[in-house]
Amino acid sequence: MRWLGLFCRLAVGGIFIYASWDKLLHPAAFAAAVDHYHLVPYSLLHPMAYGLPLLELITGAALILGLYRRGAALLAGTLTMVFMIAIASALARGLDITCGCFHTDGGHAVGVSLLVRDLALLIMCLPPLLLADAGPRLAVRRKKDQASRS
Amino acid sequence: MDIRSQPGASHRGTGLRGLAMRRPLKEAGVLLVVTMAATALGWALRPDRLPLRADPAFYELELEAPLIDPDPALALYQAGEHLFIDTRPVPEDSLATIPGALPIRPGSFDDDLLDLFDFLSPEDPLILFGDGNLLPVSNIASRLKERGYRDIRILRGGIGAWVAAGGPVTRPESGKEGS
Repeated sequence: MRWLGLFCRLAVGGIFIYASWDKLLHPAAFAAAVDHYHLVPYSLLHPMAYGLPLLELITGAALILGLYRRGAALLAGTLTMVFMIAIASALARGLDITCGCFHTDGGHAVGVSLLVRDLALLIMCLPPLLLADAGPRLAVRRKKDQASRS
Repeated sequence: MDIRSQPGASHRGTGLRGLAMRRPLKEAGVLLVVTMAATALGWALRPDRLPLRADPAFYELELEAPLIDPDPALALYQAGEHLFIDTRPVPEDSLATIPGALPIRPGSFDDDLLDLFDFLSPEDPLILFGDGNLLPVSNIASRLKERGYRDIRILRGGIGAWVAAGGPVTRPESGKEGS
């Protein structure tokens, strides 16, 4: 179970960091992608265009490093659920838009396949959240290594 | 094992489930605070930051043609395969424009198009520019599309962004339109 937790931690963390990168570089394009969902008020659009990629980056980094691991897994799961609700809402309203999940210039059109993908991601958030041991915490391990050498 | 007997556990009777989720919630809160601080700092330090409040007019505008940034537009200009269209209202004598740009103004659209009959055909790739306001340029793009023009792009940021990117400009002679 420990290795399952570690695998999910690293996979979800890597996916979140990858997802954040293009959005961090192109906040204006990401704001436009978010606006296409017609869910976020204009007063929150730009703060969200800056904040959401950073939240993905910090959450992904925390998962990979094992720092605040359960909190990061909770955030990752919550974010994934929010993304699923946004995609389902766009599908229900018949919006023909790209998802803006990984790339701000195009990317996948919203569809059921994206919901399945996000559901898999959501399931992968559970082991790091629920397991008592989900692999080594890198910062602590380094300290332990230093202590064992001295 | 009773989790409430562990060091640091609260005895205020929130139950096992509440206690088990308290730590992840606390950690998530810390990460959220860090994110908010990093967002504020990042926004303040970025030279190309967006305004804190989005302009609804910008996002509600459905452009009639795709945008092109000044740098690639400059490369296309130097390649000489695209025609640049100045969509600003009839300029003052001192108004700078892109050398070789053809004028098609909102107030004299049909007359301008007729004047350019020998120079323009619907197959020509066009790059439209204005003063940076996208709405009037998009309207011109819409009217050109109605006339059969298909390869149309809009210069992002207008003439100001063009100048900032190092694009050449010329000042038309007094009383003449830039051409």
